[in-house]
Amino acid sequence: MRERINFKNVIQTVFRDYLVLAAIVLLVIITSIVEPKFLTTGNLTNIMRQFGPLIMVALGMTFVIICGFIDLSVSGILSLVAVVTISLIEPLGQVGALIVGMLLGTFCGYLNSVLILASGAMKQAEALFITYGMSTIYGALALIYSGGRTKQMSIVKADTSIFSAIGTGTVGILSVSFIMFLVCLLLLYIFQSKTYMGRTIYLTGGNKTAAELAGIPIKRSIALVYTISGLMTALGAIVLFSRVTAASPVIGKGYETNAILAVVVGGTTLIGGNGSVLRTVLGTTLVILMSNCLNLLGVSVYMQYMLKGAILVLAIWLDSRKQL
Amino acid sequence: MKNINIGKKLLNIATKQKAVLAVIVILVIMIFPKTNFYTAYNLFDMIKSVSILMILAYGVTLVLVAGGCDLSIGGIMIVAGIVAIKLMNANIPMWISILAALLVGAVVGAINGYLVVYQNTEPFIITLGMGMLLTGIAQQLTDAHPIPCNNPNFVKLANDKLFNTIPNLVIVMIIVFFIIHYILRYTSFGRNCYAIGGDYEVAKYSGINVLPTKAMTFVICGITAALGGVMLSSMLNSGSSTYGDTTALVVNCGVVVGGTSFAGGIGSAPQSAIGLLVFGVLQNSMNMLGIDAYVQQIIQGIVIVTIICLDCYGRKRKREAV
Repeated sequence: MRERINFKNVIQTVFRDYLVLAAIVLLVIITSIVEPKFLTTGNLTNIMRQFGPLIMVALGMTFVIICGFIDLSVSGILSLVAVVTISLIEPLGQVGALIVGMLLGTFCGYLNSVLILASGAMKQAEALFITYGMSTIYGALALIYSGGRTKQMSIVKADTSIFSAIGTGTVGILSVSFIMFLVCLLLLYIFQSKTYMGRTIYLTGGNKTAAELAGIPIKRSIALVYTISGLMTALGAIVLFSRVTAASPVIGKGYETNAILAVVVGGTTLIGGNGSVLRTVLGTTLVILMSNCLNLLGVSVYMQYMLKGAILVLAIWLDSRKQL
Repeated sequence: MKNINIGKKLLNIATKQKAVLAVIVILVIMIFPKTNFYTAYNLFDMIKSVSILMILAYGVTLVLVAGGCDLSIGGIMIVAGIVAIKLMNANIPMWISILAALLVGAVVGAINGYLVVYQNTEPFIITLGMGMLLTGIAQQLTDAHPIPCNNPNFVKLANDKLFNTIPNLVIVMIIVFFIIHYILRYTSFGRNCYAIGGDYEVAKYSGINVLPTKAMTFVICGITAALGGVMLSSMLNSGSSTYGDTTALVVNCGVVVGGTSFAGGIGSAPQSAIGLLVFGVLQNSMNMLGIDAYVQQIIQGIVIVTIICLDCYGRKRKREAV
């Protein structure tokens, strides 16, 4: 009798906390049986490359969601940073363009937090609409700045070795963008679990009023999460346009929903106060593996879009059942 | 002393009726440049162009008043329009096809309602996911190409004009307006919505059947969104999966601009109509002045951010006053 209850508990814990991991393992096993091409080196490198932009955006989004907010402006920031950075390679050189791009992303993220704090928007829904409006503005700025044209990296006259390294270079078996991701993950994980500011984000997300009364600087942590999200989005933009070797002013479209999908599927709860960047890595892995498998199996892009929506709805539903 | 009082009163009206003020300001500005803005044709065209968004907005008002939020309306709109056209192309009579499209909206609304109310999920995220799912379905149904309609009567539905002046689309919009206004204002269901949005717990303990009432608002919102989709398809005589991208957020912002609050319990159909009118008048006058499309996008974004921030700020001050 006792053992049976334990067994049930184990199943429950697996379903509650490691559902994503189980899904990933299942997906890998099924696909490698159905489609042997899945486990070839070429495909695995491909998956590693696809990881780049989405995981950067999703890692930044994780903190925003842990803090109990949401950031829809990432698609606008992504487009803006991509077109600005690529246009600055010629006049400022590669390093200058990189730095300006990252500063621009950071500034955009900070601007979001300034607006949210100034208007006292303490609800997720309010933040959602404010950042959506900001996304429209950033996206329009990207269109105006670029004149609506896509800029190819091949026509840039200056040296673009850093960007081609980010896009296609490898160190051993790992691609450069994957190494960038590992470094960011390490830094963010240390920030999340070992620093004072990292823990205040969790407390702010858990209960804002209680955190404020306990003397936690909630305003500073809200500003911080949006700034981090902006910075990580800028990194994502750089990885993305390096990989596709061109920057279009609508390059970031769809990244906001995909990033939210990755974070929520990973198991970070939308209510806030809970979650981890490691979970986001799992969630992103699942999202990318899924689209890779579906591509290999020849499922249409529209069907994939539909499945993503279905998984998002399912993940949120399971997430809310956890709260009950 | 008297002057201060009048000033205060004006300021009060201005902060409460931001949308009316915005419309008046734009209308006054448009008197000066020489454009075709003040012609009957243009004014009807302007109303017609926002009519579809207004039809959607009335349903959203109901949901927001009851304390929910629906971002799947863009998806419902395009799927319903495509379903209506697909059925008509299969030689099914027009009215049956339209009813089927409305049924699709009701079913999606019921699913939203079930997930939000009975499963206690966060409304705007779950409906955002639902919108994504529906966009995928729409793309799958049309292969991401616009599909034309074979039934010649369908295009007349929205584009014919009553007495050769008022487009049918505007008439449908006005009918929906009165229905939703009646529901919110004069039925016990509507009054219960305000109570639920105002304070969920109090409404529950005062014996209102909170769960079905709140779920019902999502169903009605689904039906109005589907009606908007049918009218859109009729206006363009085709169904396409590309229109609904930003509809949901624009409509929700418009409703909030009109004075309905995210927090629930406040709002009405006339207010939402004026909120959407702000966007319509703004867009039309910017087109008339020949402003660049990208700059228009920025101006629209700034308007959205400003008005939502003001809405939040007003609530913050109220919280602090208590």
